[in-house]
Amino acid sequence: MTFPNIKLILAREVRDQLRDRRTLFMIFVLPLLLYPLLGMGFFQVSQFMQEKPSRVIVVGAGEVDRFPRLFDGDEFASELFTFPDDQRLLDVTVAPNEPGAGEPGSLEMREAAWRAVESGRYDAALYFPSDFTQRLDAFREALRGRQPVVLLCEEGDTAALAAGELSLAVPSPEIIHNTASEKSDIAEMRLARVLRRWSERVGADNLAIGGLPPSAARPFALESADVAYETPHRGAARWSKILPMMLVLWAMTGAFYPAVDLCAGEKERGTLETLLCSPALRTEIVLGKLLTIMLFSAATALLNLLSLGLTGAVVLSQIEGFGAPPVLAVFWLGAALLPVAALFSALCLALAAFARSTKEGQYYLMPLMLVTMPLSVLPMAPGVELTLGNALIPITGVVLLLRSALEGHYWQTLQFAPPVIAVTFACCLLAIRWAVEQFNTEEVLFRESERFDLAAWLRRLVRQRQPTPTAAAAVVCGVLILLARFFLGAAVGPPRDLAGLVRSVAVTQVVVIAGPALLLALLVTSDRARTLLLRQPATWWTMPAAALLALMLHPAMNILQRVVVQLYPMSESVKDALGPVERVIADAPLGLLVLVIALLPAVCEELAFRGFMLSGFLRTGSKWRAIACTAVFFGLAHGVLQQSLIASLVGVVIGYIAVQSGSLLPAVVYHLMNNTLAVAGGRITPETLDRFPALAAVLSGGPGGYVFHWQVVLAGGFAAVLLLGWFARLCHPEWPEVELSGAVPRRLAQEG
Amino acid sequence: MIHVENLTKHYEDLKLGRVMALDGLSFHAQPGQMYGLLGPNGAGKTTTLRILSTLLKPTGGSASINGYDVVDQSAEVRREIGFISASTAVYDRMTGWEMVEYFGRLHGIADDELRDRMERLFHRLKMNDTRDVLGAKMSTGMKQRVSIARAIIHDPPVLIFDEATAGLDVLVARALLGAVAELRDHGKCILFSTHIMREAEKLCDRIAIVHRGHLLAEGTLEELRRRHGEHDLEELFFRLITEHNAIRSPLAGTAIPAA
Repeated sequence: MTFPNIKLILAREVRDQLRDRRTLFMIFVLPLLLYPLLGMGFFQVSQFMQEKPSRVIVVGAGEVDRFPRLFDGDEFASELFTFPDDQRLLDVTVAPNEPGAGEPGSLEMREAAWRAVESGRYDAALYFPSDFTQRLDAFREALRGRQPVVLLCEEGDTAALAAGELSLAVPSPEIIHNTASEKSDIAEMRLARVLRRWSERVGADNLAIGGLPPSAARPFALESADVAYETPHRGAARWSKILPMMLVLWAMTGAFYPAVDLCAGEKERGTLETLLCSPALRTEIVLGKLLTIMLFSAATALLNLLSLGLTGAVVLSQIEGFGAPPVLAVFWLGAALLPVAALFSALCLALAAFARSTKEGQYYLMPLMLVTMPLSVLPMAPGVELTLGNALIPITGVVLLLRSALEGHYWQTLQFAPPVIAVTFACCLLAIRWAVEQFNTEEVLFRESERFDLAAWLRRLVRQRQPTPTAAAAVVCGVLILLARFFLGAAVGPPRDLAGLVRSVAVTQVVVIAGPALLLALLVTSDRARTLLLRQPATWWTMPAAALLALMLHPAMNILQRVVVQLYPMSESVKDALGPVERVIADAPLGLLVLVIALLPAVCEELAFRGFMLSGFLRTGSKWRAIACTAVFFGLAHGVLQQSLIASLVGVVIGYIAVQSGSLLPAVVYHLMNNTLAVAGGRITPETLDRFPALAAVLSGGPGGYVFHWQVVLAGGFAAVLLLGWFARLCHPEWPEVELSGAVPRRLAQEG
Repeated sequence: MIHVENLTKHYEDLKLGRVMALDGLSFHAQPGQMYGLLGPNGAGKTTTLRILSTLLKPTGGSASINGYDVVDQSAEVRREIGFISASTAVYDRMTGWEMVEYFGRLHGIADDELRDRMERLFHRLKMNDTRDVLGAKMSTGMKQRVSIARAIIHDPPVLIFDEATAGLDVLVARALLGAVAELRDHGKCILFSTHIMREAEKLCDRIAIVHRGHLLAEGTLEELRRRHGEHDLEELFFRLITEHNAIRSPLAGTAIPAA
């Protein structure tokens, strides 16, 4: 790999992009126009969004106006509104007390108001019952007479009354509204606000009648003080939520379009082949293109942020409490720009290299958005803060770290910068590796635009069965399992008792997990024993070795589990959902549990994951890729995030055992041992430790379970490493399909 | 110069299963020789040439160019060849001059020497009219000349043309063939694939007839005529292919059941 070639390719690609009008528009023109135009558009649209008055009808008002006034002409009195302008937002019609329509406030009148709201003629109705004024008068009379009086909602509920107390029914006017209509909801809210004010005024009058000052109902005045007020932090807090997200989104958009043009576009135009047969190495081509995409990604993000900042400084600074973005933001955003742009550039490059045409490339924007959007919007959710757990999530960590820096929490930023940088760097490397691999895969580079014919594909799968499944069949199997699990889980719900637990586990394991794998093995493969790895292991010693390995790794896994739960605490809803299951497990007989929770999954899950799926993924030519893909599906099948993380790790170990031993049996043994230890561990109580002093030598009961002594964890880990080393030295079993398709990438790797 | 020994290549097709694109192809070409690969569509010509230009990796067998193995020394091989095919286009947003200069630089030619070579090349190929024209605005003939200049700027000993006259009008095709013949006269080893009998008859010193990944016949035009007792190349070609199809069942040539 030489730098001059990379520089040459970079210079050419940049020039090429700069000569493309679409790119120029997207990167330089759009950002400069977008925000000012958005600002102008906002002012235009806001005219349409002006608040419209609500039409309300007041029924049975009668003489209510003789208490502090409610009406002022044909509107509600102005003193009942906080802002005088709000008065016009209620278009009031007072229903006349027509002789024919029944008594004022009669039930017939209420019925008529109900219908008026229901039919949509009015947004809401305010109904005063016929005895409203009488009840208020009666109450005031009692106050004047200094008589102890209690207002009751329900008539006849007099049991709670002390001797000599007078009970009166509380006057209850009513707002009739329609929650199915948004307009009606707004009308109800406005009416309620007016009536609350009026009720305060009626109350103040009542106090005066009873001889008390109006302030008796306002014993104190609550004030609030904001330390961020008048300091730059207040503006920064608002901007710190917007700017990082904009940075991520624009870095992605800025990377995507050039990437599609530079890879899929070149494939389409036939110039990629021209470049591939030049002396430039594939790695040089990838790096040259990657740097170009990075440059455009960074430029797009930077120009957008600058334009947004400038527009914001002019427009938003007029809005109370928003202010111009802090100047220091430029520095922090600049620092974050490079890694973010690198990550998205590599991702987009790999995706675009896979696409056959520009059109196909553009289809990949949606899946990319679907993954990126939640990760960049998650930090905007209230309560999501920079913790170690969140810092380890790609993109989310960067956004949160930026936010913390923009808000001026420098100590926190410094503290979490290493994990965020490490995760982003690792993701970048993985994405770049993926991109290089795409450029080294001839199936990807020379994919002909064959039309995908599902029927033909399925027919071929069944008719021309190969001994083991293809990687695509393995993916289909995994997706089938995940879908079936999701729908079954949603339809059945968690088990409530032991029988339910046994039934639910049995159905999940046999029908949902083993079922699809066995069915697919039967349909699309010819050598089922080899597909499901049902053959003699390299040596029978692998069986006890697998069991011992599970035992030795158990303390370390136990610690890891605690760390995971600490990093990503379970939400209350997940805990509530798992609670009943855990209670059922706690009360169940141990023997049955081992059978249902250890043995059954060990067999069924292994058949599906290390059997069918592993054989399929091995066809991609890399043992580690096969192990990793299987482990990811194994993790996903566990549903709860915290369990998934641990299960993925366990999946890597079991996958390695299966590949090295060439058989499913040691994998089943490991899985069985692992689950049995987990089930047995759940039964350890302080009393158990008292009864078995040997146990107390290796572990101690702590809050929320038991903890192994660190010496035990270390010793177990050391033994596990030795055992894995032994597995690594096992005679590599035959994997014809690995050698076949593995040959090309291996040679290419030597070249690169 | 070009040595191809028992070359095989198969790939997975969505509908057909495993497809044998090349099945034990062998041939050798020498400097100053124009070697023609003659075959119908889908014969494996493009696959062979893509393997020789290191774009594809063979599944089996070996191939070398000027002593360099196409798999193990692919970077060296690419310095020894100039490859032109229907799918090696010119950049739309680059002028003829920029494009040739770019590939010259990728080959590591020093600036002064590159300028001299380009001036001579542009003069020789009569392509001064493409100097400042963007690829997108060029005529097919202009594009073809820029492609040749791009492929020979580093003066490679081997040139590979994959159906280079496909889609060209008579005038442009004739000019191209003239340029190719001139290159041969300069001592280059030229591998030329085509399905047009006239081109093969007129230009090639040796001809290999390939069909469904198999070599059916190989030799000079005279040798072929003598061996098969057929003067007309087109008739000869048709007969060989019909015989081959008759021996193998119609399905056996393309899709084979996976082993």
